[in-house]
Amino acid sequence: MQAPSTPDPLKQITGAATSAAPVTPPARHGILARLEPYLYLLPAFLVFTVFLALPAFGSVILSLTSWNGVSWDTATFIGLENYIDAITDRRFQIAFWHNIVLIPYFVLLPLLLGLIPAAVVHQLKLRGARWLQAGLFLPYIMPGVLIGVVWAWILNPIFGPVNKILKNMGFSPPTWLGDFTWALPTVGMIGAWAAYGFCYVIFIAGLQKIPSELYEAVRLDGANTFQEFMTVTVPGLRREIAVVLSVNLINALRAFDIIKATTDGGPGDQTQVMALYMINTAFGANRAGYGTAIAVLLALITLIGSMLVLRFMGEDDA
Amino acid sequence: MSIRSAWGNLSRSIVYLVLMLGCVIAIAPFVVTILASLKTTGELVQGIFSLPEEAQWKNYVQAWNDGHFSRFFLNSIIVAVGVVIPSIVFSTMTGYAFARFRFKGSGILFAFFLLGLVVPLQALVVPLYYLLREMGLLDSLWALILPQIAMSMSFGTLLMRQAFLSIPREIMEASIVDGASSWTTLWQVMYPLARPMIGTTALMFFIWTWNEFLLPLVVNIDPKYQTLPVGLLYFQQRWTSNIPVVAAGATIIFLPLVAMFLLFQRQLVEGITQGAVKG
Repeated sequence: MQAPSTPDPLKQITGAATSAAPVTPPARHGILARLEPYLYLLPAFLVFTVFLALPAFGSVILSLTSWNGVSWDTATFIGLENYIDAITDRRFQIAFWHNIVLIPYFVLLPLLLGLIPAAVVHQLKLRGARWLQAGLFLPYIMPGVLIGVVWAWILNPIFGPVNKILKNMGFSPPTWLGDFTWALPTVGMIGAWAAYGFCYVIFIAGLQKIPSELYEAVRLDGANTFQEFMTVTVPGLRREIAVVLSVNLINALRAFDIIKATTDGGPGDQTQVMALYMINTAFGANRAGYGTAIAVLLALITLIGSMLVLRFMGEDDA
Repeated sequence: MSIRSAWGNLSRSIVYLVLMLGCVIAIAPFVVTILASLKTTGELVQGIFSLPEEAQWKNYVQAWNDGHFSRFFLNSIIVAVGVVIPSIVFSTMTGYAFARFRFKGSGILFAFFLLGLVVPLQALVVPLYYLLREMGLLDSLWALILPQIAMSMSFGTLLMRQAFLSIPREIMEASIVDGASSWTTLWQVMYPLARPMIGTTALMFFIWTWNEFLLPLVVNIDPKYQTLPVGLLYFQQRWTSNIPVVAAGATIIFLPLVAMFLLFQRQLVEGITQGAVKG
């Protein structure tokens, strides 16, 4: 580990600082004292700059070039051409559209499946549901690939339990992930499955903070359960709803792991999404510049989306 | 019993049933997968919730040996430890610096450290790949460790700064009056006080690292340096027809997470509620 501040030279500040301005060492106690906070930041700063800030900046530059990713001298500056290409690229448009289609599944469905039960449990003052919370929360901490692999076999048309049950009931179920019509909704449902418990737990935690007097007050005013929900529960959970909406929206727009492990974009391009297309373009098709432009677009779209949510929910600093 | 309370009991029971159903749906895929991992392919077709006639532990042996899960598992642990410990030390230091000192450029530096909250890995993974190539780090565990420490810094700095700000100032001042340096104060006074938050943060770092998929998929081609999530993907592609073995591989990945979850449930829920901001 680094030794950013050896104690001895600092004795002088600590001694002097106590009398006048406590704790915050003013700048006049020598160069080392002035450097001290920077020394604390140094290790993190180095790693962060090299492995995060630099590549992030590199993305902006790389997205303005045409480059096959092999040797540096083949890179040529082409301005915004990659971005124009992306916007007019039919496959990128399809991928973007699929991300949009995933939003109701990844965002709205888990929101409702979490919010309504949480509100009911809270209003009925049900107790002892802690172990239920644990079970509900479990999918959220699992790796996306694992979720994909697990569902891929559960929905497997030959060996999977889902189609077995449906066939026993006399249905003739589709092949789900392999079906041109069903693949995208199926991926969406898997995403909804992975998120609803998380939403529920966040809402239950948020509900504990709403003072019960608020409920009593509206009840005295003769409000029914639905009015209670709309006038107390929803406003009281504004912050939690904003967090859930933005987290889920980001998951919808950046969807990658689950799709990679279930359909890999197929069948055809039926479940192609931006992140997958970006990786395939940059590394599969050796179009590093173009792939990076898609990555930047993806980041911008995500940023705009989550800012809109926070703005809409009146959160300035989430 | 009045009609009103009968109705109340009925609605309570219905709500419990719905909750239980929600819980079953959340857990069932994992349970079914564990069952499948102990069956033969033949038994798999017979019944979903049926128990296998004889537990097929050889599925696990096959996943562990032929599927190289022993290697992936070891790599996952090395990477997790290699990411979590430095990340905790570094972000404790940055959080402390921002909470304790007033210094020139602190606002800009703080904003800089939060950059990771808005820039996702996907937005920088292409240049990162070429950077690691130039450094000769592709196909190594360093390619997984160093970037993930960097990715942990934003959330860590934010959380640790909050943790230190919430500790009463007098405690730190008392330590300094006693003549302790700021470095000693940090590790001997502040760090123990911030331990609950540090634990939560470490847990979040661990889960993010354990689950990371895109980074290893891109930077490491050689399976020798792969971690469990990508390992599972390779495995699934190679063993498509042998579902019990794939299920065994999946179980190897999620059982440690389940154990962890049961041990640290409260911190986890708290951490994820806060970590939600990270996105």
